[in-house]
Amino acid sequence: MAFGDYPAEYNPKVHGPYDPARFYGKADVPFGQIKVGEIGAWLSRRNKSPQAIAGAVSRAWWRWQHKYVQPKRAGVAPFFQVTLAAMTFFYAINYGKMRHHRNYKYH
Amino acid sequence: MLSRTALLSVQRPLGVLAMRSASAAGSGDQVARRERPEHPGKVRLGFIPEEWFQFFYNKTGVTGPYTFGVGLLTYLCSKEIYVMEHEYYSGLSLAIMAIVAVKKLGPTVAAWTDKEIDRIENEWKSGREEELQNLAEAIEAEKKEQWRAEGALLLMDAKKENIALQLEAAFRERAMNVYTEVKRRLDYQVECRHIERRINQKHMVNWIVNNVLGSITPQQEKETLDKCIADLSALAVRAK
Repeated sequence: MAFGDYPAEYNPKVHGPYDPARFYGKADVPFGQIKVGEIGAWLSRRNKSPQAIAGAVSRAWWRWQHKYVQPKRAGVAPFFQVTLAAMTFFYAINYGKMRHHRNYKYH
Repeated sequence: MLSRTALLSVQRPLGVLAMRSASAAGSGDQVARRERPEHPGKVRLGFIPEEWFQFFYNKTGVTGPYTFGVGLLTYLCSKEIYVMEHEYYSGLSLAIMAIVAVKKLGPTVAAWTDKEIDRIENEWKSGREEELQNLAEAIEAEKKEQWRAEGALLLMDAKKENIALQLEAAFRERAMNVYTEVKRRLDYQVECRHIERRINQKHMVNWIVNNVLGSITPQQEKETLDKCIADLSALAVRAK
């Protein structure tokens, strides 16, 4: 699978037009339906190659797009969500500098 | 004949095409396509997904998620994991301005964008429907043309019949010609015979009369005259 290719499992004759938000491989049990004790086994079954992680991020991005950005009467929510995510991300990467601005020595 | 072969050669690929497109449409219906939703997913407080609140509702009731949020913020601020430096206050003022703008301008902008998206969608839809209408009309016209082409075959038959009638008429006219010509020749022959006979007869009569007149001698004439006078006197005696 080179850059720009469809996933290996995607077959246009079976699946129809390509949906970037859909996982075309064999579906595992959803994360929301497993017990706490099964989390380790569930994680060990995941494909943790860089391509798979990039694909998962891409699918999440498109699921978010289809849900909040692409609908016909989309609102202002996606802008706030992007803003909040950016704030969190940049606060996290700048935390080492931010922590010098703390006002109290003891908490 | 030329038009008929042209018609057949045109019709065959058309039929194949129609079959192919019909089978393609049949296989395309099996997979469901993603539909563009009308409305986005529901959010509360402007950005938090509704599903997050539903997840909490089953365990903690209505106020649970809010309590969790406030508690988390309190923890982060209290332990100074979230440090309130100078950028925090500029961010807070920006957030207040953004919220006020959304509350004040939101409904107006939403109404305008809804109107615009409806207008754009109607434009595209009307263009598409117009195209479909045009294509349907073209199909109707094509069917009508084919019907007319079939009429051309009927016309050819009618023309053939017409030519047959003309041939029949010419044949009859010529037969009539032959009949009249033959009749005229026969009439001529009959007339010739009649004239020949009449002339023969006339000539014969003249010949006989001339011969008879030529054979009469003056003696005979005198005797005849005498005889006539004798007869007349006999008649006169009898008449008295």
